[in-house]
Amino acid sequence: MRRLDPWLLLAVVAIATCAYLAQGSTAKALATPGFANRQIVWLAVGAVLMLLFAFADYRVLARLSPLFYVVTLGVLLTLFVVAPARAGAQRWLTLGSYTIQPSEFARVVTILAVAALAGEHRQSRLDFKTVARLVALTAIPAVLVMLQPDLGTALTLGAILVAALWLGGLRWRTWALLVVAGVVMVGVAWLWVLKPYQRERVLTFADPERAPYSSGYQQRQSKIAVGSGGFTGKGLHSGTQSQLRFLPAQYTDFIFAVWAEETGFVGSALLLAAYVLMVLRILVIALSARDRVGAVFAGCTGFVLAVEILINVGMVTGVAPTTGITLPLLSYGGSSVFATCISLGIVQSIWRLRYANV
Amino acid sequence: MTFVRDDLRPLQRRTAALLATLAVAFAVIFVRLWVLQVIQNARWRTAAENNRLRRLPLEAPRGMVTDVHGEIVLDNRPTYQLLLFPEEMTDAARTAAFLTRIEIAPADEVKARLDKARRTSHLPSVIADNLAWSQVAAIAAHRAEYTELEIHPATRRSLPPGATVAHLVGQLGEVSPEQLADNPDFRPGELVGRSGIERAYQDVLGGTPGNLVVVVDAFGKQVSALDEEPPVAGRPLKVTLDLALQREAAEAMAGQVGAVFALDPRDGAVRILLSQPSFDPDLFAGHLEPAKWRELIGDPLNPLHDRALQALYPPGSTIKPLFAAGALRDGVRTPSDSIFCTGGVTIYGHPYRCWVKGGHGRVALEEAIEVSCDSYFYHLARDAGIDRLAAWARAFGLGQATGIELGGESAGLVPDDAWSRKARGQPWYGGETISVGIGQGPILVTPIQMAVAYAAIVNGGQLVTPHLVEGRGQPPRPTGFPADALARVQRGMELVVAGDRGTARRLGSLPVRFGGKTGTSQVIHKQEGVHWQDLPWEQRHHALFIGYAPLGDPQLVVAVVVEHGGDAASVAAPIAARIIQRAFGPRAEAQAVTASVPPGWQETSPPSGRDVHLEAPPSSTVQAPPGAQASPTATAHVAAGPADLRRPVGGTARREPRPTR
Repeated sequence: MRRLDPWLLLAVVAIATCAYLAQGSTAKALATPGFANRQIVWLAVGAVLMLLFAFADYRVLARLSPLFYVVTLGVLLTLFVVAPARAGAQRWLTLGSYTIQPSEFARVVTILAVAALAGEHRQSRLDFKTVARLVALTAIPAVLVMLQPDLGTALTLGAILVAALWLGGLRWRTWALLVVAGVVMVGVAWLWVLKPYQRERVLTFADPERAPYSSGYQQRQSKIAVGSGGFTGKGLHSGTQSQLRFLPAQYTDFIFAVWAEETGFVGSALLLAAYVLMVLRILVIALSARDRVGAVFAGCTGFVLAVEILINVGMVTGVAPTTGITLPLLSYGGSSVFATCISLGIVQSIWRLRYANV
Repeated sequence: MTFVRDDLRPLQRRTAALLATLAVAFAVIFVRLWVLQVIQNARWRTAAENNRLRRLPLEAPRGMVTDVHGEIVLDNRPTYQLLLFPEEMTDAARTAAFLTRIEIAPADEVKARLDKARRTSHLPSVIADNLAWSQVAAIAAHRAEYTELEIHPATRRSLPPGATVAHLVGQLGEVSPEQLADNPDFRPGELVGRSGIERAYQDVLGGTPGNLVVVVDAFGKQVSALDEEPPVAGRPLKVTLDLALQREAAEAMAGQVGAVFALDPRDGAVRILLSQPSFDPDLFAGHLEPAKWRELIGDPLNPLHDRALQALYPPGSTIKPLFAAGALRDGVRTPSDSIFCTGGVTIYGHPYRCWVKGGHGRVALEEAIEVSCDSYFYHLARDAGIDRLAAWARAFGLGQATGIELGGESAGLVPDDAWSRKARGQPWYGGETISVGIGQGPILVTPIQMAVAYAAIVNGGQLVTPHLVEGRGQPPRPTGFPADALARVQRGMELVVAGDRGTARRLGSLPVRFGGKTGTSQVIHKQEGVHWQDLPWEQRHHALFIGYAPLGDPQLVVAVVVEHGGDAASVAAPIAARIIQRAFGPRAEAQAVTASVPPGWQETSPPSGRDVHLEAPPSSTVQAPPGAQASPTATAHVAAGPADLRRPVGGTARREPRPTR
């Protein structure tokens, strides 16, 4: 235990505490008392998973990554066949009374595959062949997830690619080429891939007055919740926006608004500070990793988590569009908690083995 | 074996750059949280309050109005109204379809109301009133789907059955922007008196509306009441009206067009204020459907017009007692001065006819009033001149509003030379003076003015201010007419009913004796040889009667106008007689009036369906009801013939304005 990073553990414990309190509040609002308890159970199971992976050797995992990757792609493909359409999307795999969201695990597996690839490539700059392999590695699961459709998770898979290319070192010409390709991809996605409601969300973000009572409604209610919290908040279980159910999706995408309304700037700044500490420690671990696999894995994980946090809190506070990206560890959901804990466990493993000379 | 450690330095440089970029992004988010939660806190807190708090207006019940005997004139009854919270309406088309389905109003009307409600933004609007139980149930059953709708208890005014008090009590309506600007106590959308007692006594009857602040959840369900500011009910008001007499008047008018106004001549307390046709004030209590409004204002008989206070009629012979009193006061006539009526006179080279072809013979002042001799008053008018006639009329309150609290009165018209030059741009013609002498020509009065003038004759010369609430109105002002002159005129008016030759002598046998004066003012020129009952309704003369009782100590003056009634003695006088019998005699005597007067007047109602062509040329075919000519009573009428018709001829008649209808 002593060889684990205490700061990262502290950050996770702080976030988990906030998660329990916030989920307790929204559980009261929605009259579903089970939610808070289940979230804390998942966090506890997540902690165990984290320790398991912390004491595993990440290099072994990286070597096994092709296997994980293929299995994950297989599961994502089977989803289109077996998964029932829930809320218009085929995202969940049902196991008994539990549902699993494989796309959350696909993210860890993809980062691991990217890190393993980076381990084989020992130049200071990426060559074309490696770039193509990186794009393929991330694009295949990203397209599968986007077709579910789950734009938010697909975007985080895109973030892995950006982080990998950045860390791998890319020539400016290649960056420019990728930006052009990206613009074309976005154009194609806008015209043929995005669902009307997804397009509407983006448009609403660009112009909030566009539809004050439909797409803009969620974001407006969220801003009201955060803003009305004030400096010290309305008190736990006393937020009017959450308790009277004006806040939409308040146990998943908008959980941060519940916390911000009830604990005010003090609480939301503390929670955000815990997230900053978590991201900071992951990137510090990336800096002190003993090899390329560890550095790339931690770097990508830190970047993806940061992007998730920034987009989610940005969405809640009205500076980013509503994309359906959840807040790591805080949003309700076992798959998300487990996947995040597994990544953090691997990061701890990188820290633990930073001086290992084997 | 040498282990070459991988050179990770470029990777670490890039990781550090990543860290720096993310630090900037997190800093932005921190700033954003500070802005939202600390700097803009007040704004968002208000938005949160508006989200969860609904301010429901609590209407204050208006005060009850009772008549002089304590009978209820105006009361409240509970109803349900439909409130719309426009901010919560997500799909106006869907809401409109629902409201149309439960028959709140036709589709386009519902749409118009929703549009209007949305323009008033965050305030709830009343979009329907007087909901039926089935509608209340339907809305309650769908409340989860239509959170913007709310059923709200309210009250509406209820009127006593039978009495036509619409013009008296007046209408309610939403407070106007001007009223809102004048009085900070009013709230937008509040119902206030728009006319009648409701407006005149708004400060008494209107209470102070309250508020109920409730907490609602995102589905519009009321979670709890936060704050209640109870409404303060309006205070009750006791008016001088006598509802029993008002009812009697409405019955006696029997649907004819016209007005009845009665007051106590001693102090001006109003006892009857009736205008027909009437309307249902309930129509104005909430949303008036455009179709009903068009029907009301398109009605040629104009039911909204308060004929007792606003309609202008030539007074006809009812002006004669006023001029008689004036002539006595100013020495134009002595009580014994007489003329010999031969059925007409020639003045200024023009012939003027008395209404009785054969003439009245020798008449002095009292008989001239009794028989309504036109010749006597032609001479009197010539000797007095228009300026003195106008001065007398004004001394009796004509030509100016009487000052009743209800307001909206017409001033009437007392013509003289100055008026003629100003209004018509030509000097006064002497011939017109002769017409004015018998209440024709450009002189115009309202029923309330004539009642006040007659009150002055019978109360010893005091001009009272008619009022509906005890103690209101100015104290009586002396008119300056000497008591002995007024006594002479009163004697003449007693003879109108009691005398052998009185124009209303057929009412002389009733148990309660009364005085008064008939008047038949012409609408169009009399056609020679055509009886009034053979004329189309809209061409018949107006029938007027102003009576008072009891004779020794008059306590009631009743002014009756029946538009196009045709004949004062058989149409207007019996109505006044019935009211007087009801007021001072036993209840059973009312039938005596009907019995003593043949029911010929009942055929003076406008044609059914109100299909009145006011512009019908005088030469149009006679449209009398088929039964009128054939009925023996009608024939008997022609024989009795006390019709008070006259026709000034010559140049004067051409300038006569058509009396208002």
